Amino acid sequence: MLIKNAYLILSKEVKKLDILIESNKITRIGENISEKCKEQIDARGKYIFPGFIDMHTHLRTPGREDEEDLLSGSKAAAKGGFTKIFCMPNTQPPIDNQGLAKWILEEGKKIAIVDIYPVGAITVNRAGKQLTEFEALSGAGCFSLSDDGDSVSDSLILRRALEYAKMTKMLIISHCEDTSLSNKGVIRESFISSKYGLPAVSDISESLIVNRDIELAKYLDARIHLAHISSFKSIEIIKRAKKEGVKVTAETCPHYFCLTVEDIEKGNFNSNFKVNPPLGEKKDLKAIRQALKDGVIDCIATDHAPHSLAEKEVPFEGAPFGLIGLEFAFSLAYTYLVKGNIIGLPAIAEKMSLNPAKIIGLKNCGEIKEGNFADLAIVDLEKTQKIDKESIFSKSKNTPFLGKELEGVVECTIHNGRIVYQKDKNI
Amino acid sequence: MEDWQKKHILGVKDLTRNELETIFSLTSSFKEISQRDVKKVPALRGKTIVNLFFENSTRTRVSFELAAKRLSADVVNFSTSLSSLSKGESVIDTIKNLEAYHPDIMIIRIGFGASLSLFTDYTHASIINAGDGSNEHPTQSFLDMFTVKEARGSLEKLNVLIVGDILHSRVARSNIFGFQKYSANITVCGPSTLVPYEFSKMGVNVSYNLDEVISEADVIIMLRMQKERQQSSFFSTQREYMKWFSLTPERIKMLKKDCLIMHPGPVNWDVEISSAVKERVHPLILKQAENGLAVRMATLYLVGTNKREI
Repeated sequence: MLIKNAYLILSKEVKKLDILIESNKITRIGENISEKCKEQIDARGKYIFPGFIDMHTHLRTPGREDEEDLLSGSKAAAKGGFTKIFCMPNTQPPIDNQGLAKWILEEGKKIAIVDIYPVGAITVNRAGKQLTEFEALSGAGCFSLSDDGDSVSDSLILRRALEYAKMTKMLIISHCEDTSLSNKGVIRESFISSKYGLPAVSDISESLIVNRDIELAKYLDARIHLAHISSFKSIEIIKRAKKEGVKVTAETCPHYFCLTVEDIEKGNFNSNFKVNPPLGEKKDLKAIRQALKDGVIDCIATDHAPHSLAEKEVPFEGAPFGLIGLEFAFSLAYTYLVKGNIIGLPAIAEKMSLNPAKIIGLKNCGEIKEGNFADLAIVDLEKTQKIDKESIFSKSKNTPFLGKELEGVVECTIHNGRIVYQKDKNI
Repeated sequence: MEDWQKKHILGVKDLTRNELETIFSLTSSFKEISQRDVKKVPALRGKTIVNLFFENSTRTRVSFELAAKRLSADVVNFSTSLSSLSKGESVIDTIKNLEAYHPDIMIIRIGFGASLSLFTDYTHASIINAGDGSNEHPTQSFLDMFTVKEARGSLEKLNVLIVGDILHSRVARSNIFGFQKYSANITVCGPSTLVPYEFSKMGVNVSYNLDEVISEADVIIMLRMQKERQQSSFFSTQREYMKWFSLTPERIKMLKKDCLIMHPGPVNWDVEISSAVKERVHPLILKQAENGLAVRMATLYLVGTNKREI
């Protein structure tokens, strides 16, 4: 396959070059490649990103395949320009053993249109008490481990996990939340929560555990990755730790750099705005954007969390946490961060492809480079798209961005040298 | 009255001062009806009202039911609990089911705060908030304000003191929004654990010491202290709570002579108010209940007869 005339988002620059793909690899990048190819794409005026990698997604398989499954999740991913996604283990039953992890990996290879990697649970049944078999999970295709949805609240267990993961060369991903503090809170503690009398979660519910996790990682000289960072306070702590050389990396999600708790009020307490950690205040949003700019936050993950209509068609307080994100992550990043003059196009590629690949330890991907897998997202930055229920590929429609017009549209996604998504065409 | 525009009564925060005035003036007329021998007018004849209570309540429900009956509406009570709902029918489904009977007004009480605007999407009926979580309880605030207006003649620029569990109180929030429309100087006072985060941004003074603020008050609203708050360590013991925040005979002596003491009821005697002062405070609290009926008649009338198309 030959892709001609597109602007490539390279690590330091944006350059108009052609890409030659042979089999599943990028074999040449250069000017005016004139190789004869059966498949040739003229991408004049378009921009090409390395295929996005989502470190944090929920596919609901096994257990709630009515909300999302490996195929529908992978289609949603491809539509969003993602070529590799990592699914969290808070399924029913949880992915806490090699049998299930291996099944996800193999089933994904069989039916999904992008790569799906299982994230293994840190503890058996995600109960926070006993470590899972890290080595076996690694053998079954897990690169990372997390009890996501819950924090490992017992500090000793987390210490053991960090030590054990060091030995087995796996990445521990921490969901930072002091659940005794967040209690039954549904919204960030703020003037809005006070005004409407809603049970609230303070920002220190996150930052206390961020602090603890960083102290542990520092003490053990172990690596830790912090999921869905949402607050100014957490960022201050991560910034300090990084300066000290602690091996900490962090992700945030589009909703934390697009929305605040005030949008919940403006959205009439629609349950699609309910997410954990909850949407923060203006100062948090500003800090997240700044942290993406200075690299305190390494990557953007979706925390794609599908929920059925019945689960979300309830009052805000009664609804489960979570929103879907795979299909809009890029457009949100482009609209709010690039158009908002926070970061440039190469930084988007870094946060959504290169850094996730590096943090997880994936070889030959995350960058448009000769020799790398041909995982690419071709986007049209001139176009806009309106988010409506009908256009969503995910089985669930729970997004606070319904009705919103976003800039930057993924036109085509190529995975391992094959087109897996093309806008306006059935796949 | 002809210009009443609001289809729903979801919160005092959405109402204007003029709208409150309309409610109060109508309340005075409806009060008279309850003193007649035949306590009924045909104002809402043929209208169907559903009292939909997802939370236990006797007083508010009875008050609304009686108000509806005195206006000749057909009223049905639907009481259920959220916990039993979670097993089967959802809240929205319940509303959709009731919608099938074409009710004109749904009076809703529910434990979920700020949830009622969601329900307006699922019914053609007018929705009246009878208490949603800790958010608002508008008719309670109407009756409190009406009671003050009746007793003092005016609602202007009063020193209003609200005492107790502010955090979980929809009565406090509705009264803050209401009295503020009359330029009140509002102070909330309670244990620091039970005053919400950044609450002074509501435009109220915050105090943790009742003795320091009690003598200035023109109106005191004592809130009900639920005993389970002690189990969650919002306060240590009833004894300590009483020591700091209860209306005791000693504190009664510190009051302005004409200070009005109110309580949404039912009172936990010897928790928020000492039973030794029952004689001093109970008559007005019972007056509140009486006014509550008239205020609810006024509210139902305004919403039930408004011609505004959907």
